Amino acid sequence: MSFILEILKATIPAGTPLLLGALGEIYTERSGILNLGVEGMMIMGAVSAFGITAITGNVWLGVLVSAIVGGGMALIHAFNSITLKANQTLSGLSLTMLGLGLSGLIGKRYVGVPLLNKLHSLPIYGLKDIPLIGPILFDQDPLVYISYLLTFVFWFFLFNTRFGIELRSVGESPDVADSAGIDVSKIQYLAVFIGGIMAGLGGAYLSVVYAPAWIEGMTAGMGWIVLAITIFSLWRPERAILGSYLFGGIRVLQYKLQPFGISPNLLNMLPFIFTILVLMLASKEISRKRISAPSSLGIPYFREKL
Amino acid sequence: MKGKFSVALSLVLLVALIINTAYGVGAEKKLKVAFIYVGPIGDYGWSHAHEMARQSLIKKLPWVEFLPPAESVPEADAVRFIDRFVREEKADVIFTTSFGYMDATIEAGKKYPDKIFFHCSGYTRSKNVGTYFAELYQIYYLNGLMAGALTKTNKVGYVGAHPIPEVVRHINAFALGVQEVNPKATVDVRWLFSWYDPSKARMAAESLISDGCDVLAFTEDSPTVVTVGEEYTKKGKPVYTFGHYSPMQKYGPNSCVSGQLVHWEVIYRDILEKIRRKVYTNTNLENVDYWWLLKERAVELGGDFGVPINPKFIPALKEKKVTNSVFGKISVYDLVMKRLSQMKANPEKFDPFTGPIKDQTGKVRIEAGRRATHDELWNMDWFVPNVIAKIPR
Repeated sequence: MSFILEILKATIPAGTPLLLGALGEIYTERSGILNLGVEGMMIMGAVSAFGITAITGNVWLGVLVSAIVGGGMALIHAFNSITLKANQTLSGLSLTMLGLGLSGLIGKRYVGVPLLNKLHSLPIYGLKDIPLIGPILFDQDPLVYISYLLTFVFWFFLFNTRFGIELRSVGESPDVADSAGIDVSKIQYLAVFIGGIMAGLGGAYLSVVYAPAWIEGMTAGMGWIVLAITIFSLWRPERAILGSYLFGGIRVLQYKLQPFGISPNLLNMLPFIFTILVLMLASKEISRKRISAPSSLGIPYFREKL
Repeated sequence: MKGKFSVALSLVLLVALIINTAYGVGAEKKLKVAFIYVGPIGDYGWSHAHEMARQSLIKKLPWVEFLPPAESVPEADAVRFIDRFVREEKADVIFTTSFGYMDATIEAGKKYPDKIFFHCSGYTRSKNVGTYFAELYQIYYLNGLMAGALTKTNKVGYVGAHPIPEVVRHINAFALGVQEVNPKATVDVRWLFSWYDPSKARMAAESLISDGCDVLAFTEDSPTVVTVGEEYTKKGKPVYTFGHYSPMQKYGPNSCVSGQLVHWEVIYRDILEKIRRKVYTNTNLENVDYWWLLKERAVELGGDFGVPINPKFIPALKEKKVTNSVFGKISVYDLVMKRLSQMKANPEKFDPFTGPIKDQTGKVRIEAGRRATHDELWNMDWFVPNVIAKIPR
């Protein structure tokens, strides 16, 4: 029993950077913009959070700066795809490459530097004594609690506010939204910016809480898993939680399964095999429930066509 | 007019040349030394330790010109860097500090027969390529003694980078120490398949802890395991750890018991001084192989320089008594100190890898009374019985 409990407890922090990134990408894609630059924004968030924390000794300042840096990176993509109406796939991919290279350059001096200030786990008094889920969910670090809160906020805003309706309608049909008087590019800019902020936070979680260390290329494909989770969650924040913790659990399991003599190469493949499976299942569900991706996803919106 | 000018010019040039040559003979020509590192200098592990050694020698050896080192050099790309050091920066001696540079270094030796090369951790030599290594197994054994004494769950964990002979040897030495003071304890291993990846190291360490391990040692290049141990200890679930390679006690003042430290500068200094005195030349390195341990002071016991055991743990180690065939009833603290001084002063008297030592299948690998040879240690691919993990193949 404690074996499973320990796995589940370790799953939450392993899934948190994915959850943060996926929440942001859900908003971005809901507005009809596809941003493949998650990996690049995440790693820029990771390096800036680490650098600022190492310099100032203040973790929260590091986290804040990572959000700004992630958001700033996203604005490049927003400018390309909304203002210039460039190819979103290419712009996103180049954002990833830019982020990976630039973070390596900036992070050179932080490789191997230890963080003496970091976020400690903060059990929530009362809640952590709830049998079973208490120790799993409420004996974590503050950023994990913030990720719970953000999931709720993202869900609430998307489905229960005017902003949410505008965001969804822009993603489904920008010309209709436009004729209804919604400022399409403003909504899209905002959504992409939020996506960047969240990816930056996900990176910060990796470098200042989880590792805590800076290593070149430390996101190691997490940005791509975020994109898979976005699809798996059918663009719904509350389902992103499920997807993120599934992937987090798989990563933790790699080490728990090692003693059973399973080939380590196979274990290393697990998250990616799982990605393929998840995409297959999700697309089946998408067709069964007749849900689809935001209709205008990836298509630049030209007002002139009206 | 024109003729006079060229004669004057030639005269000036000639005088300059003579003066120049005279000075060249008078002052000792500085030995130019280059280093090639596989990792970033800041990895706080392997490359960092070599760089610390290099820096400490800059002041001590004024007759050496240390060229700026090349860091993060991919193993397949070493040739290009060696070429640059030889041709453009005119290096006389080149240290290549990763196993993967072995073939490139041997090739470079053939290509530049008048230069001297030293390759770290390899086994191939030639007339101008020597090898060197600072070995830690004696210290892992001493760490094992302490780990066996401190575990309450009788489960000791080990985070290993790659299943290669060096790491297997360290795990065995550690497990032999554990076995000596606590025959009931087992050693479990998780592999990272990476030398430097803190987030993997964290998952591996936490996985061991969740399986009940309360003492952890490791071979990988980050202080993550010590950090994790400190976190758990602070939360009220003590997990004791041993630092590796660099002083890591500061990452876990309440968790880090001791550890292994390396002094590459001892080896580098010896090599460079012998090159200066022409003991080593570009023709006689065929059999120059440094395999330096405690006796040569190339390695040190401790989580910080000058601190063999974290004072926090000394009372517990003094309290735990074991019966030893040589020393009789003795505290683990005294046992560690006696073994340490034995291996420092005269390693002939004691070596952790003295038979009888069996492997996991019960087969005798080192017969009673015999010591493991250099080759046996170098190629170790089996675990002693109290290690419960398998070597992945």
